[in-house]
Amino acid sequence: MKSKVLVITSGKGGVGKTTTTANLGTALAMLDKSVVMVDTDIGLRNLDVVLGLENRIVFDIVDVVNGSCKLRQALIKDKRIESLFLLPAAQTKDKNAVTPHQMKNLTNELRKEFDFILVDCPAGIEQGFRNAIAGADSAIVVATPEISSVRDADRIIGLLEAAGLYDTRLIVNRLRSRMVKNGDMLDVDDIIDILSINLLGVVPEDESIVISTNRGEPAVMETSSKAGAAYKKIARRLNGEEVPLFTLEDERILDKFRRLLKIAR
Amino acid sequence: MVNLALENVGSEILIALKRTKNFDELKTALVKKINMIDDFRLGNEVIIDIGDYQLTGKQTRDLEDLLLDYGFHLKEIICTGGMMDQENLTPADDTPDEAFAIMPEYENTVMLCRHLRSGQKVFVEGNIVILGDINPGAEVIAGGNILVMGSIKGMAHAGAFGDENALIAAYRLKPTQLRIASHITRPPDGEVIDIERPELARIKAGKVVIEKLKI
Repeated sequence: MKSKVLVITSGKGGVGKTTTTANLGTALAMLDKSVVMVDTDIGLRNLDVVLGLENRIVFDIVDVVNGSCKLRQALIKDKRIESLFLLPAAQTKDKNAVTPHQMKNLTNELRKEFDFILVDCPAGIEQGFRNAIAGADSAIVVATPEISSVRDADRIIGLLEAAGLYDTRLIVNRLRSRMVKNGDMLDVDDIIDILSINLLGVVPEDESIVISTNRGEPAVMETSSKAGAAYKKIARRLNGEEVPLFTLEDERILDKFRRLLKIAR
Repeated sequence: MVNLALENVGSEILIALKRTKNFDELKTALVKKINMIDDFRLGNEVIIDIGDYQLTGKQTRDLEDLLLDYGFHLKEIICTGGMMDQENLTPADDTPDEAFAIMPEYENTVMLCRHLRSGQKVFVEGNIVILGDINPGAEVIAGGNILVMGSIKGMAHAGAFGDENALIAAYRLKPTQLRIASHITRPPDGEVIDIERPELARIKAGKVVIEKLKI
């Protein structure tokens, strides 16, 4: 299988890029794929904390691109899953410590060893973003059903296209079905209308994410987590399986009902 | 004039050799002191206080060898002298090539009165004393010892140039990672140990051990 480099980005901060990276990485590794997650948020690293691997960091991405250590030395093996690895960001440097060219070389190096390379992109559209997308084959844009997040996602999709990344897919994160039903929240179709890109999956709002993040254990490891189940489905889709978009289907059925009701009136 | 103080500090022996004029005099004084030590203390570690005298790297090694001949281990050499005289600062017998060799180990101690937050990094060649916390994501690297009058929650690296005798002491020791010389340790997974007392980390028998800080 040809390895894939996916960048997970959003433009806006706090929409769940890091949580998405951690969960998709873990879920893909649970499907027996070899996966590496690359944290490019230099100076504000979080992915290691979310995965509970913070205390294992000795070398980081900056050490690798500077040649201070070998790539193998910087890769941290996950404590739960054999085929899952993390390349952590540096905390005491800044985004300029890495160049897009170096990132490209790095991802090409990682391609030799892994099926999936998930790049966790920092918020913003500056150097960090340019680094993160440099070596990517395609992008996953995470957006929450808020107008500000969708606006930023639109800007990001434009920038990705400008950089030659056209195969961009969308994850709608933190959707509250009740609020959507009441018409208080943007629904998935509205977001797709605005962004006009393919939908990869919908992740419901789930309080258990907060708990699992604080514990350093991805939600996909929890069988009871709703968000975890959604991430597992997305991972299977990334792996090339056909998995129906349940949440979206539900919404469509609901829409049909609404339309019928409107006609009846 | 040689001050012949000899003190016992726990299992260590502190030998004060203050106000010596030259290295030969210092050596003679040291031999005199060693002969005064009881035989049952053989094999103990010795700390030598050389007042305001400055040793070259070679002289330090000479003292170490001298102690080993008598069956003692040199733990460290400390300088508790007052203000140094100008002539003492430039030992006459050293060529400029040895500029680095004359720098006594951990001569300088840096004191820092603030919290170190995530992403902040402090490096000192000698010892460091921090009045504040080291938060997760912050790094303190010292060539010598690290003393934190607060919590270590981030990363601390003592003896960064390879000194395995370096210590890390903290009012509360809850690090993400501790490093001494080339040893790296981290707390075990899944265990939450809350110890509400000052602790000390050092290398014993090739492993980093954490023990209660006895004061």
